[in-house]
Amino acid sequence: MTSAPTSSPAGQTGKTTLRTRASSVRWARRREVLREVMRNPLTVVGFVIIALFLLMALMAPLLTEANQPDPYQSPRDWGNIDVPPGVEGHVLGTDSTGGDVLYGIIWGSRLSLQLSLTVVISTLVIGTIVGSVAAMRGGRVDNFLMRVVDVFLAIPELIFALAIAAVLGPSFRNIILALAVVFWVKYARIIRGEIIRVKQTDYVAAAHVVGDSNWNIYRKDVLPNAVTPLVVQATLDMGNVVLIGAALSYIGLAQAGLTEWGAMVSAGQSGILAGQWWVSTFAGVAILLWALAFNLVGDGLRDALDPKTEGR
Amino acid sequence: MQVRQYLIRRLALLPLIMLGVSIIVFTLTRFTGSPVGIYATPNMTPVEVAALEERYRLDEPIPVQYAYWLGGLLRGDLGWSGVSVAPVTDVIGLKLTATLELAIFAALVAIIGGIALGTIAGVRRNKAPDHAARFFSILGASTPTFWFGLLLLIPFYLWLDWFPLGRSTPEIFDTIAHPTGLYTVDAVIGLNPSAIWDSIRHIILPAVVLGFGSMAIIVRMMRSSMVETMSEEYVDAARAKGLPEKLVVKRHARRNALVPTATVIGLSFGFLLQGAVAVELIFRWPGLGQWVTSAILSGDQATIMAYVLITSLIFMLVNLTVDIAYAYLDRRVVLGS
Amino acid sequence: MSVETPSDDWLLRVEDLSVHFHTPRGVVQAVDHITFEVRPKETLALVGETGCGKSVTARSIMKLVPEPPGEYASGSILLRSPSTGAVIDMLTAPMDQVRATRGDRIAMIFQDPGKALNPSLTIGRQLAEVFGEHRARMLLTQAGIDPDHAPVGSGAIASQRAGVIRRNFFHLTHPGQSRALRAAVDDAVINALSDTGIPNPRKVMSSYPHELSGGMKQRVMIAQALACDPDLLIADEPTTALDVTIQARILDLINDLQQRRGTAILYITHDLSLVRQFADRLAVMYAGRMVESGPALEVLKAPQHPYTQGLLAAIPRAGTPRGQLAAIAGSVPQLVDPPPQCHFSSRCGWSAEVCTTHVPHLIGLPGERKVACLRFEQASSIGVEEAEMPLRAAHVEVGP
Repeated sequence: MTSAPTSSPAGQTGKTTLRTRASSVRWARRREVLREVMRNPLTVVGFVIIALFLLMALMAPLLTEANQPDPYQSPRDWGNIDVPPGVEGHVLGTDSTGGDVLYGIIWGSRLSLQLSLTVVISTLVIGTIVGSVAAMRGGRVDNFLMRVVDVFLAIPELIFALAIAAVLGPSFRNIILALAVVFWVKYARIIRGEIIRVKQTDYVAAAHVVGDSNWNIYRKDVLPNAVTPLVVQATLDMGNVVLIGAALSYIGLAQAGLTEWGAMVSAGQSGILAGQWWVSTFAGVAILLWALAFNLVGDGLRDALDPKTEGR
Repeated sequence: MQVRQYLIRRLALLPLIMLGVSIIVFTLTRFTGSPVGIYATPNMTPVEVAALEERYRLDEPIPVQYAYWLGGLLRGDLGWSGVSVAPVTDVIGLKLTATLELAIFAALVAIIGGIALGTIAGVRRNKAPDHAARFFSILGASTPTFWFGLLLLIPFYLWLDWFPLGRSTPEIFDTIAHPTGLYTVDAVIGLNPSAIWDSIRHIILPAVVLGFGSMAIIVRMMRSSMVETMSEEYVDAARAKGLPEKLVVKRHARRNALVPTATVIGLSFGFLLQGAVAVELIFRWPGLGQWVTSAILSGDQATIMAYVLITSLIFMLVNLTVDIAYAYLDRRVVLGS
Repeated sequence: MSVETPSDDWLLRVEDLSVHFHTPRGVVQAVDHITFEVRPKETLALVGETGCGKSVTARSIMKLVPEPPGEYASGSILLRSPSTGAVIDMLTAPMDQVRATRGDRIAMIFQDPGKALNPSLTIGRQLAEVFGEHRARMLLTQAGIDPDHAPVGSGAIASQRAGVIRRNFFHLTHPGQSRALRAAVDDAVINALSDTGIPNPRKVMSSYPHELSGGMKQRVMIAQALACDPDLLIADEPTTALDVTIQARILDLINDLQQRRGTAILYITHDLSLVRQFADRLAVMYAGRMVESGPALEVLKAPQHPYTQGLLAAIPRAGTPRGQLAAIAGSVPQLVDPPPQCHFSSRCGWSAEVCTTHVPHLIGLPGERKVACLRFEQASSIGVEEAEMPLRAAHVEVGP
């Protein structure tokens, strides 16, 4: 591992050795952590469910015949409305417009994937940047940015996203946008806290003493060690985002007829009185399984990474 | 001493943060086509509409508009609610108390159930009750509230007809006075048994559905907190004094385990506020959540904005209360580092 | 087993006690067939390094070892009443009997008083608990309430101490009696606190542990332990967490209280100066086994077991040539399914073939001394002062 040139050769060697050791220790730990995570059967179950959803989402066009022109609209089959599950090739039944429930679930998984990945990745990036700037600059910049974060956190997530999506107009894209605006603050706070914590450790002080530049310290010492809680939070948020997104679609902030699980629950609910339980139920189960899987994995990661519960 | 300083600092921050929230809300209103829509009633003539635009300086630059909007806000002018056909301020009180009542009951369910289950799980660590509690808590955190509500409605309302929808039976509701605005409390104050029963019948199901998610979170926090506390030396020392195990768990372990759980309880109120949106929709509960969902469907901005403002305010006040309680409970806590 | 003639007048007898822990790595034999006794009013020191099993032994006496993962694999712990002569076995007695002795006939003070006191309860409340549990009748009578028809239980008696929200309604239903009871409890607590030399006991009574200094907290623990005048006090490393200056005072306090009340004391420690100053008898443990015991000064003057000799030789003393600290080479073996041999043999300068194939048992020597070593005759002929290089000692270079 190479490092930036410094004044004294002794310093350079010292720093390189320290960094190399630190990084190889980190990789060894990551393998160990992965093994530990896999030891928990529940976490493994979570991974399996995620893998299944991933497959479902990616292979959707292969699994079903994509509806034209918009595959994300449930195909209308007016000859087959309100069919109970298991009848006439509709494994999970159909809704009140003849749309196949299984089709909705499969294409809905694509939407969930799109929603969660987009939101989590973008908020991770934005939050990390803002939080890092705040923590590295300190002083008034930090103060100001943290007040902004406080303000964002004062509004409960769903309510905030609801207001944004309502103002922008009901559409799936707006839901994604709304959630991105709401969720980034969490990551900003996490990374800021971690940077401040790491800044006070000895190895960073050593790096300063040896004359390393701020950016290098940040990249090589601070960031890798602050990554842990971010990873845990991001995993959990992959599930949470879909939960909140489904709630927003349920309320009616997505387009009509969309094959989004929350919207499906809403579409199927009037049928419940007439005994048509399957649309809402299956869509809801899909949401539950998605959130459950990411919660299990996130928890497993958290337990494995938490020094207090390590190697229990 | 330190507690007081901390409190003062938090209280001072509150208005600042609310100001920030108001800026966000204001920004949102400018995204829509016609900002005047907040104040205009459907029967207004174009002359009146123009007068409104003048009053709120809607042709001036944004910061000026904000100042006038804020001024209106502080004077109690929150706009006109299209869905309620009345000024927002007239209606918001009623909606608020309805949601608060629901949230309080849900919180009771969550807190009492959560602490009890979490304690059992923590004490019997890694045995059957513990695994069951942990599974339950993860399940609870992953279940969409609106779907759970539907799921429970089917047996309890559709099939068994045990619990009715809505908040009350109007005939019974009208027979009692409403000093507090909380139906259950008013029924107790008025010593009216049929009203008490009516209010409870209506609130049970939505409260359980709403509280379920928060309960799951509290269970998990309480469990881990108990596990940590049970391995502390003073618990062993208490046993060494000859105290019965139940007392050791209750007075020594659990009392200290409650401290970190208090923060979680505060946070869970935020979840309750959010979950209330869907729950009120499903159970036809006449609160803020139902109010705002109708507003969304009809594009009633004033309601939506008022909703955001009031829920944020409540959320912040609850957090502040929890922080105070926390600082009071944990005397070793270094406040606001 | 061991050649044992129990003395006629004994307070506590630990006989052939073994304690195992079931861990994911295997069964750890933390305590392996140890036997010793404590006599009334005497001070016995249980000595050994960290991990030798002395703390586990101490906790076993009150059956405090958590039972999964722990297991009392063998032996008995007999407690004898000095007045009636009745004997109970702590390991087989029903739990409510065990709990009745805890805090009343046997009491324990812990190493770190900061951790052993409940941070969310006042000192007064924590002390009142002991009285409420074991002296309820006395307190009720003192308050003028008939103990057989008392409307309140022991838990409520502890609640009578101010400072916490009272949950029973006793103080509302019987305000006069409640006041009297509270006064009685307060008196008992104040007496207990002032007996340990705490100035201003009223203030301490309503304080929380984190408001007190380390020395003060330890005094509180001692007060709490001695509240019901136990026959035996177990002190688990009572000075390790304290400043040196406070240590001496606390030890003097304990000694003073012992003289006044006639309590027997079991010191768990690795501080040999404490042993020298206060112990009547001494027992040395190593790797879960008892290796030597006898009158303290005799053992210290002429240790029979190579481990004891090593311990004593390792104490830096004035006059040791500069630059050399004697330490015992090697480390304590892992106690998971250990082979049947002397655990010290790998580090012992006297070990022979037989030491790796047989487990040494305690053998009685004249002067009430015992030693568990197969080669003690070879090792013991030299006293500590004369011991030069009989051990494979590691010399740690100290200095420039």
